[in-house]
Parts: sequence; C-alpha cells; structure tokens
Amino acid sequence: MAHKPKRVGFKLDMTPLVDVAFLLLTFFMFTAKFKSDAENEQKFEIKRPSASADTTKLPEVGTALVKIGIDPKTGDTVMYYAVTNEKDREPVYRYLPGISPEEAETVAQVQVLDTTALGALVIASRRQDNRMKFAIDADRRIDFRRVEQVMNTFRSQGATIFNFVTVSGSDPGAS
Amino acid sequence: MGAVDLGGGGSRHKKGGGVKKPKRVGFVLDMTPLVDVAFLLLTFFMFATTMSQPQIMEMAIPPSLDVPVEVQASRLLTIYVRDDGRLFYNTGLDPRMTPLEESDLSNFLVQRNAEKGNELITSLKVDPRAKYARLIDVLDRMNLAEGELIERYRADNMTRERRFAIVSMTEEDKQELAKL
Repeated sequence: MAHKPKRVGFKLDMTPLVDVAFLLLTFFMFTAKFKSDAENEQKFEIKRPSASADTTKLPEVGTALVKIGIDPKTGDTVMYYAVTNEKDREPVYRYLPGISPEEAETVAQVQVLDTTALGALVIASRRQDNRMKFAIDADRRIDFRRVEQVMNTFRSQGATIFNFVTVSGSDPGAS
Repeated sequence: MGAVDLGGGGSRHKKGGGVKKPKRVGFVLDMTPLVDVAFLLLTFFMFATTMSQPQIMEMAIPPSLDVPVEVQASRLLTIYVRDDGRLFYNTGLDPRMTPLEESDLSNFLVQRNAEKGNELITSLKVDPRAKYARLIDVLDRMNLAEGELIERYRADNMTRERRFAIVSMTEEDKQELAKL
C-alpha cells in the first residue's frame, strides 16, 4: 500500500485577532482629540516652537490661553484670548472693551488689541476661577517683544505662574 | 420529514426523474479587505492622536519688586539673546560679554552651577526683536541643564534650588551687544 504522506495542515482562526483590532480601533477613535470650537473658528495659524524637555500635557480645562498667531494672508501678528471652560467664557469676555453682550455669549475666543484689554481679561479670569491656569500659545516666528508684553501684563495682574505651549521636538543635544 | 437522499439518486439518472437536488446557495465572503482597512484606520489613529499633543513649559515670574535686592556680583550670571539670535554671557557687573554657542549652553550652565552650588543666580535678557523661538530654545536647554543638576545634587544629598529670572534688556546692553 502506498504510504500516504502525512499532510500537516494549519488551520488558524483569525477571529480573535480581528476582534482585538476592532477594539483598539474603537478605543483610539474615542480618545482622538478633535479641533476645539476655538480652533475651528480661528483664521490665523500658530506654529509652536519645539522643546524637548517638556513632558506635561496642556490641560484641557481650567485654562486661559493667550494665543499669538500670524494671519497667513496679511502676515500680521494677532493676539487672541481663549478660555477653555465654556461656562467661564461669558463672565470673562464681557470685560473686553468694545465687545457686545451677544458676542460675549457665543464666541469661543476674542481678539485682544492692546495690553489694557489683556489686563482686563486676565483679572476677570482670576476673579472667575482663582485656580485658572494661564498659558502663552505663540507662534515661533513672532518677536519676543509681544511675549514680553504679555508676561509684564501677567505680572501686573498677579498671574505669576504660567506656561508656554510647545510641541515635542528632537533633543537639541544637551550632552 | 425523513432523510433526503441526495447524492446516490441524482447521479444515476441523467436528467429528470429521481430526486431533484436542491440548489445550495453558499455565502463565501472574503473578509481580507475589511481587516486591512481596519488595521489601516487603527494605525492612523494610533499615530494621529498621540503625536499632535501640545505640551507645556512651566514658568514662574516674580511679582513686581518694590525694593531692589542686593546681590554679590560674583553670584550673578547673565545670559543675553541678541536680536539675531546669538547668545552671549557675562558674570556679575563685568561689561565684557563672551559669545556662547547654543550647543554649549547646557554644559556651560551645569559647569557654572557645579562650581557655585545653589548660590548662582542666572538671569536671562532677551532682545525684544529676537524671535520667540530662540527664547524657548534657550529655556529648553536650561531645563535640560536643570535636570542634570538635580541628578548631580541628589547624588551629593543636596536639594537643588534654582535661582533664575527673565529681565528686560537695557539700551546699554543692546549697544554693547551690537558691537560684538
């Protein structure tokens, strides 16, 4: 009788693999951070400077951001103030000189034209939430002068602890 | 219902007669493209969500000082950022400023601090015309130096106390720097 060669067959059921893949996909889909209302509204861009030593992430609540960006069409530097908590926005934005009550209710971020306006917003933010965190989110191409003005305003209005928003960049080679 | 005899009856007769073989409709669905797309989406989300997170660098500024504080000149190290982005430093009240390369900044700070312990006061003066990116770069390197100093001090059982401030650049500073 001919020796029937023993056929070794591999039957692999891929169902659990596909299940896990879909689970991971769903997880990442839910934790994806989408553009906030403020970011969708804004017409300027901010290219953040890179820093390698920072590891703390930008908090998503209880923060007041001073955004200094560049209008891509005109090349001008523009400054905006954005409060992340929706309920804190109207009580703070209403102190911006020249803002209408309807605008203070609806808009996610306001344009700031001078340091007195910024000062009014900073002090209103501190009054609204005494644990409000301040951050400067500025484009890396702007002059330091603008940041210096903001820092001086922070100091005069009592916001002595604040953050600079950066993106992670490669190690500049400290050693 | 009884058993349905399919195979034997049908093959024996050519056409007609016998038991009619019920047409078996089979669903064979190849799931390969579905799984491919799923993995692609997964990889996309894995990279897109973690990489774009902005991070923060903490800063603390001293409140406005009413009374000027007296310090020993030898304890003071000032780092200057000129409007073109180049770095210089001087010690105490010495008017001579020495150029410094960015890549040397961290090592330089670690060395100076190692000599002085917690006594060294570092101040940073940035020309308003310099780009903000330079400030962050300098602060980043200073933070890296701090990290190393904390490690070193811990090895000697000391706690590191950083003394650092950002100070406005004066007109004299700008003129001095313009000469170099």
